[in-house]
Amino acid sequence: MSFLKESVDDVRQVARGWRWGRRAQVPKSAEPWVLPSRSTVFRTEWSRRKPAMAAREVAQKAGLEPLFRSQVRTRVEGLDVLARIDGPVIFVANHASHLDTPLILLSLPDEWRRRTAVAAAADYFFDTWWRAVGSSLLFNTFPIDRRGGTMAATPGEVLADGWSLVIYPEGTRSTDGWMGKFRMGAAYLAKEYGVPVVPVAHRGTFAAMPRGQGWPSPGRRQLTIRFGEPLVAGPEESVRDFAPRIKSAVAALLDEDRSTWWEARRRVAAGSTPDPTGPEVAPWRRVWEQSESPVADAPARKLLAWRRSAS
Amino acid sequence: MSRPGFVLEVDDRTPPLVVHEGLGFRLEDGFPLGTRVVYPPESIPAVPDVDEAIREALLHPHDMDPLPELLFSGMKLTIAFDDLSLPLPTMKAPDIRGRIIEHVLTMAAEAGVDDVKLIAANALHRRMTAAELRHIVGERVFRSFYPQGDLYNFDAEDRDDLTHLGTTDKGEDIEISKRAAESDLLVYVNVNLVAMDGGHKSVGIGLASYKSLRHHHNAKTMVHSRSFMDHKHSAMHHSAWRMGRIIKDSVKVFQIETTLNNDVFPKPFDFLQKREWEWSVRDQATMLGVRRGLAVAPQKMRHKMFHDMRSVYGLTGVNAGEVEAVHERTLQKVHQQHLVEVQGQSDVLVMGVPYLGPYNVNSSMNPILATCMGLGYYFNSYRGQPVVRKGGAVILYHPLNEGFNQLHHPSYVDFYEEVLAESTDPAVVGEKYEQQFATDPWYIHLYRTSHAYHGVHPFYMWYWAAHAMDHVDSVIWVGADRRAAARLGFRAATTLADALEIASDTLGTSPSITYLHNPPHLLADVR
Repeated sequence: MSFLKESVDDVRQVARGWRWGRRAQVPKSAEPWVLPSRSTVFRTEWSRRKPAMAAREVAQKAGLEPLFRSQVRTRVEGLDVLARIDGPVIFVANHASHLDTPLILLSLPDEWRRRTAVAAAADYFFDTWWRAVGSSLLFNTFPIDRRGGTMAATPGEVLADGWSLVIYPEGTRSTDGWMGKFRMGAAYLAKEYGVPVVPVAHRGTFAAMPRGQGWPSPGRRQLTIRFGEPLVAGPEESVRDFAPRIKSAVAALLDEDRSTWWEARRRVAAGSTPDPTGPEVAPWRRVWEQSESPVADAPARKLLAWRRSAS
Repeated sequence: MSRPGFVLEVDDRTPPLVVHEGLGFRLEDGFPLGTRVVYPPESIPAVPDVDEAIREALLHPHDMDPLPELLFSGMKLTIAFDDLSLPLPTMKAPDIRGRIIEHVLTMAAEAGVDDVKLIAANALHRRMTAAELRHIVGERVFRSFYPQGDLYNFDAEDRDDLTHLGTTDKGEDIEISKRAAESDLLVYVNVNLVAMDGGHKSVGIGLASYKSLRHHHNAKTMVHSRSFMDHKHSAMHHSAWRMGRIIKDSVKVFQIETTLNNDVFPKPFDFLQKREWEWSVRDQATMLGVRRGLAVAPQKMRHKMFHDMRSVYGLTGVNAGEVEAVHERTLQKVHQQHLVEVQGQSDVLVMGVPYLGPYNVNSSMNPILATCMGLGYYFNSYRGQPVVRKGGAVILYHPLNEGFNQLHHPSYVDFYEEVLAESTDPAVVGEKYEQQFATDPWYIHLYRTSHAYHGVHPFYMWYWAAHAMDHVDSVIWVGADRRAAARLGFRAATTLADALEIASDTLGTSPSITYLHNPPHLLADVR
């Protein structure tokens, strides 16, 4: 009996010590000695073939979507732009939460969603085989090296195959909900492959599920997402010029989502679009502001009679 | 690529750490935050072609003529080699000493040398069995020399085979194997596992008798060897060096020294030499399996499991030639593999005593040997100053319950029962009892004809720990048999927390703590 108990204790100690089910951690003082991660490239072509697409369709429609809708409310605007263009395109969005990807994918019309792949950090989503398989099966992710390494060829191949891409040029989730610095990757790809960029702005995902949280906060938080006019790099326009234009488009969309299309347009014209990187105030105030869910003028709830609230 | 050693600071992200304790290991999660843990460097790369490296060393020795030029027909050639106390654990066959001896013998055969003797330089260690000798020299050498009696253990009590080469300026006798001393060439093949090995210690100690050894193997010398892992600051080595320089005048010694990397744990135990937070799921599963297996296995089976382990060391260097020139190069390699920089001393030093030390290969780790391992070898694994401050505490992990091997360690039993019962002070026991044990005819008889360590050997173990006993105030054994610990003059605790509680009497409730995470071997360079 004591052997059994000791065995259970041992397993418990290891499960706790090595954080089973969570990401492993390295002691702070050992960080300088961590070996550079293995450059194992997990192949993901399989996840863009028919059987995987069929499996994904089932997983997204029967699993992900009902679950997602049960946890958050969404308001989608600007999808009409997609009616005017043909794919592939590059969706460029701000990045604040793990909810961003399901939000974008599930907001897209089905025919677009089925042909959209998501660029995901190789060192985060592709560090173990099961994480790689899971994320590419469910979200159609493929690995990119966010340190600007060697895998740059892959997104090009995916684009060339006719898939639209979702790219977060910030390269990582925001720590305070505000937008960070945009990298050049998306602009480069758009220019190189001659595909339009569709700016996407969303709000509320940070409030619903910030970094470090594994599940959306209770209470069906509101998320909003807005697709903007496609941008095409001009023949003379360099990547260096195009990238800020994308960022401004996302910023304007965020502004539009917060106010109205007309006001946002006027501010763009006046060059007074609010800075998407947020005000320079104490960190807590930045987080405080972002931790409030956006208010959507959604139609009033139906079935008022069923509500339990006394009000 | 191999990473250097480093000092970890325990924080809330640190998983439980492995601490060896005899025939097993513990997953210690009780280290207080901020505890420093010294990790040895990872294995440095091995030489790509061992035979080529050996040939190169023999043909281009340091400060000496190439070996083939030293060999001639009609000469007396003696090849001495380190005994089974090196390396630890035993090397997977073929042993590097055997491979080198084969090369030397091939050259000797080409030169037409007939008179060749191979002597295991075991000094006062036990005689090795035929199988143990065969493992070291290899089957080919064994078959050619053992049946004729030309491959044998050195007998430090054979008056007919000892010769007195004189005394040093400090009056130290030099008495070594007559055969070795009278040879035209003495080739010594060593395994320089740690920094204390090799140099003039090889011939001057390995082939010496009690009359010679007593000058440096005593409490006074050992207290002034700081540490005995640093030959430049070790009184024991100074004595051996004085002797070696006199031996050099009358004996031509061709020293061959080898260095090994830190690959001590073979699969599936290789998780023991990885850093814990880098354990894969497979490592964790293996560890759990091994731990549970050890928990149900009877002592005998656990003993077998550990002692059957054979290490897959990589050879990192082989140097040949004049003793001091060779040893300098050897130490560079050893330091490259073992040295870790540690900033400053701490109040408490924690060490896990593993299942194996130099004197219990294929035998049992009795309480005296465990003390020697912890307070001797591990405590002295420093350069500069001890890892623990003067007046600090040492916490050791070992159950101290393996008992005594009557075949190998008969005099240890009497030392434990009679000598330690009276005093545990190394200087006192040495003064009062050493002579008696060293000259006891029964122990000498067992040493010469059976497989027993010499009667005086347990005293040496106690002297080995003398510097530590002199330096620290308290020694606490975690998980140890209380009676055994008390007999040794130490205290026992069930857990690390209890041990720290005991130490808090003198060190307060938040002492600075350093844990030496060996094996694999490390040498703390304390600044």
